[in-house]
Amino acid sequence: MNVTRDRLVTPLVFVALLAVPLLFFDPSTTYISRRFIRVIIFAIFAMALNIIFGETNQLILFMGGIAAVGAYTTALLAQYLGISPWLTLVVGALFAGTFGALVCYVAARRQFTVIVLAIVTFAFQMIISEVLVGLRDITRGSTGFPFRGLELPAVEQLTGLGPFAVQFYVLVAIFAAVLGVYTWLKRSKYGLAFAAIRQDEFAARATGVNVIRLKVFAGFVATFIIGLVGPFYGQTTGLIIPSLFSFNTVDVLVLIVLVLGGLRSRYGPLVGAAVVIYIDNFLGNFGQWRTVAFGILLTILFLYFRDGIVPSLQSLVDDREFPAALSGALGRGKSK
Amino acid sequence: MLARGAELLVDGLARGMILSLLGLGITLVFGLGGILNLVLGVFAVVAVIVCSFILGVVPELLVAGVGGVAAVALFALVVDRSVLSLVYEEEGEDRELLGIFVTLGLSLLFEGLLFVFFADSFFLESDVPSIDLGGASITGSSIAVIVSASVLFGLIYYFFNYTYLGIATRTVIQDETGSILCGIRPRRVQSIVFVLSAAIAGAGGILYALDAEVAPASAFELTTFAIMVSIVGGVDSIRGTVAAGIVLGIIITVAGALFGSYLSTVTLFAAAIAVLIYKPEQIS
Repeated sequence: MNVTRDRLVTPLVFVALLAVPLLFFDPSTTYISRRFIRVIIFAIFAMALNIIFGETNQLILFMGGIAAVGAYTTALLAQYLGISPWLTLVVGALFAGTFGALVCYVAARRQFTVIVLAIVTFAFQMIISEVLVGLRDITRGSTGFPFRGLELPAVEQLTGLGPFAVQFYVLVAIFAAVLGVYTWLKRSKYGLAFAAIRQDEFAARATGVNVIRLKVFAGFVATFIIGLVGPFYGQTTGLIIPSLFSFNTVDVLVLIVLVLGGLRSRYGPLVGAAVVIYIDNFLGNFGQWRTVAFGILLTILFLYFRDGIVPSLQSLVDDREFPAALSGALGRGKSK
Repeated sequence: MLARGAELLVDGLARGMILSLLGLGITLVFGLGGILNLVLGVFAVVAVIVCSFILGVVPELLVAGVGGVAAVALFALVVDRSVLSLVYEEEGEDRELLGIFVTLGLSLLFEGLLFVFFADSFFLESDVPSIDLGGASITGSSIAVIVSASVLFGLIYYFFNYTYLGIATRTVIQDETGSILCGIRPRRVQSIVFVLSAAIAGAGGILYALDAEVAPASAFELTTFAIMVSIVGGVDSIRGTVAAGIVLGIIITVAGALFGSYLSTVTLFAAAIAVLIYKPEQIS
């Protein structure tokens, strides 16, 4: 039943995504285009968190820092070598992924609990923020530097699309790839092993699951994705600055996006990102009330709505399609 | 050179004692109930703001300070009885995770409100004059901090060693189930200690404001410093936290003077990471 629904939902989502630039992007009002680009970027960030936290229960709180590692490596290396950042993009992502994998390796080796990993990665986030401001000679400190290198003028000319539309399509392609990887992971033996780790790590180890290798793998995949998207995130404002990658601007939002959309659901991150970025823009005119609103949202989400939008909708639909109590129980069992 | 070293040492000691107080705010609540209280920095900032408003009416720092701490204690009581009660319904790792997220949400909420209504920065003036000790000039604020923090440590020591409630608290820290068997009600102790930790953090904030400006943005910084100190100290060890605060305070003050302030902050976080990698089982 879920597979048939997937066959319907997936094309619908992508048709909608592909239509977005044609319907809404207008060269005279770039802020609307930027808003959609932000939605897709935060959806990808949340999918990465879904892989590492949702699947293997490793809570990382240095997503902003990892995105910064990707963005700064890509941009600075391209400048230093005098080549296009398209070429250094993978280097930045690999660097971010290696760093993330290393942290996850130490965490798995030393048997960190969720809290310990959260605190360690949070401390790394602080260190990265400090270093980005402090190493002024290399990173140009808190004022940052302009960055526009990840554009495709040739494609723009060929298709007649604006730079924002091309950027959006590139990100949709990355989104599709990440979604593909996530779907494959969930349906392969990895998904099974992840579920085993999540439910009982010791039992998983006893049945022959290589917990350390899988946790490092999930950590690498997630931080690689975040590092890959980091430069695009920097490009949304045209300026790479440390404050763009802080705990409050990235990690808090990504957490809200994922939990609101639905932990371990495939389209939860996209739905969550759309809602959160909409609220974010709406509240942008009210100054610090935005922080207040997100604080309230985060608190209420975690206290009362940990299921998320997408899984809740799914079980609602399942309940209506199959009135028997059995299917409701099944649906809920699945979303857990 | 020697005089400069002595100045740094005293300033570091003062800073370290403030860090110890803030760290205790984390240690007490986490050790007791597994909640990493990210609202702590907000308590410190609120105490400073209330204190500076009282100073406008009663120009006596001690009175205003006590007023600020009392206000924060009341604030903490409301938070504990309302939102935190829901968190305490969970157990084990679920409670720890929920605690992080809920207190993160609350800290954003309160920080946002502080930004909206009290966007200024606050600074408290101590009347203690600077003194000259063998060529080293010891600032009045450092003296005020060291003396007041010493008195507070004395009170805290007395509380945990000689009062029923203090001993009960230590019992709950060691073994929650065991404490129930002894007739202690953990939830009640948790409430009282949460209020106590907020009061300690409030006092820490007020002492911090004697030497530096405190603004709503300070709340986040003070919380992170407090967490790092608490971790280096061993998270559920009261003595460890006090010692860690003092040592780290001296280290970051000296490192800051030698290498610049950003490296000194990095040192603090790196120390916490190193301790966690070396002894991850201390938080479990």
